Amino acid sequence: MLELGMKKNGAMLLNTFPTTVTPCIRIYYIIEGKFEWRINHQPYFFYPGDVALILPGVPFGSDNGTLEIGSFTWIHLDMQKLDNGYIIPGKWSGLSDSEAATIGKMLSMTGSPVLSRFSEAGKILKCIHTELTGHEIGYQTRVNHQVDELLIKMIRHMTQQVHPGRDFPQTFMRLEALLREDLSHQWTVEEMAALVGLGTTLFTEKVKSYSGFSPINYLINIRISEAIKLLKRPDISVTDIALDTGFYSSQHFATTFKKLTGYRPSEFRKNHLSNE
Amino acid sequence: MKCIVTIELGTNGVRIFAFDLDGRVIASMKGYYPSFHTEPDRTEQDPEQIFITTLYVMKNLLNEHIHPKKYKVACVCFSAAMHSVLAVDKNGNPLGNAITWSDNRAKKEAQELRSAALGRSLYAATGTPIHPMSPMLKIAWMRNYDKERFRQTSKFLSIKSYIIQQLTGEYLMDYSIASATGLLNIHSFNWEADALQYAGITAAQLPELAPIFGSAGKLKKAYQQSLGLPADTKILIGSSDGCLATLGDGVKGEGKATITIEDSGAVRVMGPAVLKDEQMRFFNYVLTEECYVSGGPTNNGGNIFEWFTRQFGDFTNPFDVEQSMQQLIEEASQVPVGSDGLLFLPYLLGERAPLWNANARGAYFGLNIKHERKHFVRAAIEGILYEIYSIGKTLSEQRNIKSLSVNGSFGTIPFCTQLIADMFNKPVHLRRKFHSVSFGAWLLSATEMGIYKTLDQAARTVELPDVYKPNKQHHAVYADYFSVFEKLSTKLSDEFEAISNLQHKHTVTKAFS
Repeated sequence: MLELGMKKNGAMLLNTFPTTVTPCIRIYYIIEGKFEWRINHQPYFFYPGDVALILPGVPFGSDNGTLEIGSFTWIHLDMQKLDNGYIIPGKWSGLSDSEAATIGKMLSMTGSPVLSRFSEAGKILKCIHTELTGHEIGYQTRVNHQVDELLIKMIRHMTQQVHPGRDFPQTFMRLEALLREDLSHQWTVEEMAALVGLGTTLFTEKVKSYSGFSPINYLINIRISEAIKLLKRPDISVTDIALDTGFYSSQHFATTFKKLTGYRPSEFRKNHLSNE
Repeated sequence: MKCIVTIELGTNGVRIFAFDLDGRVIASMKGYYPSFHTEPDRTEQDPEQIFITTLYVMKNLLNEHIHPKKYKVACVCFSAAMHSVLAVDKNGNPLGNAITWSDNRAKKEAQELRSAALGRSLYAATGTPIHPMSPMLKIAWMRNYDKERFRQTSKFLSIKSYIIQQLTGEYLMDYSIASATGLLNIHSFNWEADALQYAGITAAQLPELAPIFGSAGKLKKAYQQSLGLPADTKILIGSSDGCLATLGDGVKGEGKATITIEDSGAVRVMGPAVLKDEQMRFFNYVLTEECYVSGGPTNNGGNIFEWFTRQFGDFTNPFDVEQSMQQLIEEASQVPVGSDGLLFLPYLLGERAPLWNANARGAYFGLNIKHERKHFVRAAIEGILYEIYSIGKTLSEQRNIKSLSVNGSFGTIPFCTQLIADMFNKPVHLRRKFHSVSFGAWLLSATEMGIYKTLDQAARTVELPDVYKPNKQHHAVYADYFSVFEKLSTKLSDEFEAISNLQHKHTVTKAFS
């Protein structure tokens, strides 16, 4: 369920750090030294204060199992895998369902497994270590709290790393791309805001002033635009289009579509497939 | 009460204004649509998203501000960014995304044609500089490298033509947009045979040409219903953003020029004759048969200062680039005019006018030990505006410019407007309230409706109440430094090419996200 460890390595060792795959999330925090590890076959360098984040099922280790000089701590966390492919923290977590889902989704979508200059992770891991060795009253609850804290801090650090709060157009473009990649998902404002590292109030305000639309209305824009493209192809049913583009049902799709365009989807399709 | 609605299909989104018949703004709304950079040198937009966004914004504006106040929409008029290309099939359905003006995929074609005799004659005939922005070159590129799409294409449209076709069913292109395709002969107002041949298409593959006052047809029933507009609502095809911004600033007539600085920029004049230029530096676009809008565009405007702000500004609030820019401008205002001799070449995006050199790059020059951080800030702003001045200077070789107007978000920052007045040593007029492009569309609509007899008369009524007067001492300083700026920008051309080549060689191509 949960493993916590610390390693201080005084000399370069071979065949001690082989590549492995596990069903849990693995978080490594570098205390001293410099490590070259492969995550998902890609080489990455880690320096003190950096965190390596290895998702379930991702191969992790180093070439020839080499372990360089230095020290690091790690924690392995049990995650649940959902039907839609996303992960959520296991039963130990005290996160609310919706926040756990958002965090799990963001973990699955993370681009880089390197969280640089993230010493807070080291502090939390140290606290967990102290609690686990001390066994004082309430230590189990405190450890679970600390793990949730670690996940939250990691997500926030990750978004700030990608979106340093300077370039809204670029941030918005990245968000746009993520929405398009998974248009059938029922996106919430909370999820979208979390992806760019803003609170929902500020996020909604920024999106509105930048795009002219509320986040949800902007999303409807993308959904209808994609739906129009699909309607102009004869090989996909209106119901499938509705679900693929994130509407609850073909009825919901038809209503929204008609309200905006004046056409029912089937009517629109007929007009565009024949020579007008 | 009647009102006029103007729809501006811009680079980053659509802006819709409603004006009353006196030219006062009743309401305005905007909607963003993205550009996609799927590969280096490519910039595309989704025509369906542009259409849906336009419809959505239009509907919101009408429902929130026009219908409740019982205004009757007398006229809807379009403007749009120039140089876009959208291929559609025989059913009018898009074959992929629209290619927009800043797309550079045809740069090899442009380079070759620019140095060929055919390039010269096409430039003289069509008024469009031989540059990858030109739809003629984009279509030629498609013929060479996107053969399947080219083969399936029934028509090559502009973004505006597509939006209008969706709304009314007509395939139309106004003379202004057409004159920016590189395919229209701007003297005979017909498609230019040599240009069509170069692109590998026939006139039948292009929309029907229409004057800017022309009707774009009738709204389809479904849109009449969803927008709540009657069948007899007049839909005017309108013109291009560049032409309408010039008209909207009242630049018709001798001695006037207008400077637009948004992300990119341009200096424009209007007149009955085209500008001829051996070096092919200027564009000549058509407003009407008697009136051309001519000038030079720059790649490096407000976007360069925004870049600077993102790199070096303080961000106390996340994503608040306006506030950070404001702080930098305050910092810049503490530095003496001319930045104590620090010069900045703003060519971060290569350059169009007056250099027409895609390999041009940025530089700071003249650094000494006394320069501080704030000098870099001021020099950046001065460099962007020296470039604008340099376009104005080449234009004034052919036209006598007595007064200037400024529009666009960067140009109308008071600090920048004053610098422009000082550099040009001419009074600068501007209107802070709203967008010149949309006001140009209003003037056009008002003329069509008979409120004004002619566009000339309409343009003459334009009042730009704010005036910035030039400071002679400042002008003298800028003039001194400009002479070095100008020399640097041409002298470095070998080094620009060398560094640009090395940048390509040593840059690992990153996947565009």
